[in-house]
This record gives sequence, C-alpha cells and structure tokens, in this order.
Amino acid sequence: MKPPSENHELIRWLDGEMNAAERAAFEAQLAQDPALNREALEMQALSEGIRAHLPKEMVVPYGDFFNSQIQVRLAQMEVEEGARSSRFSASTVWQWLRQPWFAVAGAAAIAVISFLTLARDGHQADSQILSSYTPSAQVQARTFHDSDAQATVLMLDGLDAVPADRKVSGLNVHHSQTETEIAATSLYDASGSRLLTISRDSGGNPFFWQTSPRG
Amino acid sequence: MKWPHPVLFSLVICPWVIAQDAAPSGAGTLPVAKPATEGKVWGALIFATDDAAQLTGSQEKPPASLPKLNERLSKVFSFKHFEILGQHQQDIFREYESWVVPSRDLFLKIDSKGPADQGGVNLHLQVWREQQVLVKSEAVLRPGSPLFIGGPKWKNGRLIFVLSLEQK
Amino acid sequence: MPASAATDPGEVSDIDLVKRSQAGDTRAFDTLVTKYRGRIYAMTYHLIQNETEAWDLAQEAFIKAWRALPNFKLDAAFYTWLYRIAHNVTYDWLRKKKIQGDGEFDDERTEHRAAVGAETAPRGDAAPDTALRNAEVGQRIQAAIARLSPEHRQVIVLREVEGLAYEEIAAMVPCSLGTVMSRLFYARKKLQELLKDVYETTL
Repeated sequence: MKPPSENHELIRWLDGEMNAAERAAFEAQLAQDPALNREALEMQALSEGIRAHLPKEMVVPYGDFFNSQIQVRLAQMEVEEGARSSRFSASTVWQWLRQPWFAVAGAAAIAVISFLTLARDGHQADSQILSSYTPSAQVQARTFHDSDAQATVLMLDGLDAVPADRKVSGLNVHHSQTETEIAATSLYDASGSRLLTISRDSGGNPFFWQTSPRG
Repeated sequence: MKWPHPVLFSLVICPWVIAQDAAPSGAGTLPVAKPATEGKVWGALIFATDDAAQLTGSQEKPPASLPKLNERLSKVFSFKHFEILGQHQQDIFREYESWVVPSRDLFLKIDSKGPADQGGVNLHLQVWREQQVLVKSEAVLRPGSPLFIGGPKWKNGRLIFVLSLEQK
Repeated sequence: MPASAATDPGEVSDIDLVKRSQAGDTRAFDTLVTKYRGRIYAMTYHLIQNETEAWDLAQEAFIKAWRALPNFKLDAAFYTWLYRIAHNVTYDWLRKKKIQGDGEFDDERTEHRAAVGAETAPRGDAAPDTALRNAEVGQRIQAAIARLSPEHRQVIVLREVEGLAYEEIAAMVPCSLGTVMSRLFYARKKLQELLKDVYETTL
C-alpha cells in the first residue's frame, strides 16, 4: 500500500505548534478544502479520544509492595557495594525494617527477606532470594537459608494441591535451541526429538507447542 | 487458555514449528546465532513423598555439581523419598528471557539482571504453573548454592523445584 | 517537559526530598516513589500495554534514578529528570522486544487485523448505552495503540498523554523535529485506519 503523503502543516495545526499567522493561513486553507477539513476534524477527534482514554496517572497495583521491593533492592545494592559507598550508614540499612511497607500490603503476600544476614555472614556467598511477590492472596512466600542443606529455600504455602489423579510428568531435556527472532525455545531429548516449543502468547503468558505427530 | 496472536501464529510460529519437527536435530532449521549468556542453570522438578509406592520410577540423576541432593532436600522437606521427575539444563541469556522447563506442570522464566558481586548472577525469576504465575522473585543465584522452591502438594507428597547455577 | 505535581502547602518539596535522598535518606526517596509512581507507571503501561512488565519497568526506573541521584543537579525539575530515565528504560525494553520479533509491533502486519476488526464492527452500528460505548472506545484505542511500532507509540504517548511540545519530544527521543512530525503524522494515520469505524461515525 502506498503510504499517505506527510502533512506536517496539519499536525502542527492540530498540536498547537503554529504561530498566529500560520494558523490563520492554514485555517483559511481548511475552509476551502473540504477533504482536508474532514481529515483535520477526524485527526482532532482521534487526539481528543486518546487524551480522554489514556490517563496521565494510574493506580499502581500493590503500591506498597512496589515501594518495598524498591527499598529491598536499594538495600541489596548497598550491601553489595559495601565500603565503596559512603551514602549509607548501618543504621540507615535498618531504618528500612521499620518502614510500614514491611507489613503485608493489601492482597499481595510479601516475603522479605533474610538477605542482610545472609550477605554479612562472611563465608562464601550463598544464593539469595531478595524479594518475592505472589499475585494470589492465598499464597504466601517465605524464604530462608538452610545451612545443613547448603541451599536457599523459597517456600510457597497456600497453593492449591495438584489433584492426585493428575499425571504430573517430567521432561528430560537434553538440549534446547532458542530462536531469538521469534522468541521461541525448543527443547529436545537425547535422541534429538523435539519435546516441545515454548513461546509467549499475545497476553504475555507462556504457551507450549506440542510435538506434532510424525508418520 | 489464551492463544497466540493469530497473525503471529499463521505467519511465523506455525511454519517454524513445522520446520522444527521436520528437522529437529538442526539440518534445515533456521540459522541460529547463539545469544550471549550469563551461564547455565540446571532445573529439576522433584517429587517428594513418604510412600515409595507412589514413586514414578524415574531414574534421572542430578548433575555432579549438586552432590547429595536427596540428602540436602531431606534437611528442608521432611519426606523419605525424592525423585527427579524431569530436568533441564538451560543457558541463561543476557538479553533474552530463558525458560527452564523440566515439566509442563511447573516451570520457570528467568531474566538475567547481570553478574552479581561475589560471583553468580542476578536474576528475575517467575515460577509458573501452567498459565498462572505463582511467584515473582528477585534472586542472586550462585554456584554450589541451589535454590529449593517448595511447590504444591501432590499425592500426599510435594512437588519441589530445584534450580542450581552451574560452574562456568 | 512534564512538570512536577503541584505541591500542597506544608508538603515537603521535591527539592528537600531530593537533597535528603542524595544524602542517603531512603525514607525521603520512598516519599518520592509514592508521589510519582502513578505517573511513571501510567507512562510505562501506555508504552508497554502489559501490566506486569510495566510494573517491573517502573520499578527499574526508580532504581536507576536512585543510582543516578548523585549526578542530579537541582536546576531541573525532579519529575522531568525521572520521567526521562523511565522513558529510556521503557524504550530500551521496547527496542529489545522488537529485536526479539514478537510481531506485535509490525505496523504493516496489523493493518490486516484492522480490516478484520472493521468488518466485525460495521459503521453506523449505534450503541444505545453511551457509557458502554465509551468504555468500548477506550478499549479500542488502547488496542490500537498497542499495535503501533515502538517509535510511533512513543511519540503518541509523549504528545497526547504527557503533552510535550515537539522540541521536547525531539530532545526526549532523541531525533530531529522533522522526524517527530513525520512519526506523529504516520502514527495518527495508522490509528485512524485502525479506529476507522469508531471515528468516522462520530463526525
């Protein structure tokens, strides 16, 4: 399709980017050109529609958690930067713990976080869960480090059980191949057969492509 | 269940999937330049139970980088038996999302946030159960220090996800 | 440029909060986050059209702002500075998504969808319930903006939502004034096509 010719005058008029003389001249042109006038009115209606339906400010879902997670990440940065930074004091770090957002926020279950003690143990660094967010109010996430297991644990409580009659099956993935152009990853077994392909659907959720039957 | 964008499906993914099935081991597939990575992770779905009769008989073993896995799991989860239902070793891409899918039932999406101080990698993790995200976490994953994620109950036992960063 | 929100008498000014934040006061920064998160989130949401990703990117913007605070000169409005950081974070993400080729930003490809949509919503199909129609129009506009390329979506959000002048958009993107006008023109033409059945009936 041939693209429409650009009309900068039209959008400058629409956006109030013309001086008085330019505006008067363009509006005289509109008065004499019904097609251009209609185009201008349509674009004007469109602009008004966009402004009416795209709010300049929106309520942030789980706003308290939004703030608290930022603070946790700042604390993490501070711990990792250690002595390099002079912007914090030790008391500043603990100041976060007294903040109201360390209480559970709304329907979101929040797990915060044992990272300060973990990072300050001095021994070889362990994996850390810095923050967690569970969209379902029924689900709680808690985290801790188990030194006997030499593992960091993220425990999800309150999940619906998987029905006993459901066959939970595993995949034994030998190798994978990611096609970045279409953001899809295919998983293969040891024999080179494709187990599945995973990509995302238009809503951003994962989507599996099953292996097609072969003759 | 949501379906992919229909145009995306018809023009891009569907022909590509067909091509993948036709030539799964590489010949004839689209040319692939391997993206930059932050390292590899090993992810596994574990079934923990006290009832040996409920085990599926899976014979999968953990990697050598994760010794005594069952013993370590038993320190956290009070079950007698731990069975690897599925496992997946996956590159963590620097600029693209990575999926760790040892099972369709429970799997991870990982976005790298770059190397961590004191080794390891900063990650944004999402644990998915089919079409539902169970938890989103900011994490630092370091070699030799696995992450145990306690998942849903199943058959008087529990499903556990293990994620471990492989040594470079 | 986007101006900071009006300050109530007695409310601590942005300058005070920024100075305290620069000295390492995280409570002061938390107040700034609370004050501006709604506007930053609105911008990321309009550009991304995905609640989860927009939420993460808005957070990322505040964290980047914290890191950059030592370099912030108090001669500019804090919100303007913050907005630029958030814009860059979000636009980088959009560019990356475009490289990943999700297909959703392909203006040419979505023309086909617009035509299909027009068939299912014929002209002159008057909706009796104005409120419902208003909500439907809102959804249609959101969906149409989601179909724009990152470059076109960016200028539409900067112009129509934030009300930036052309010179300000050119500085933010950054690009020439001619490019701003060109992108605005084609973005609107595209939206007109996608929303043809909505706006032709209203005139």
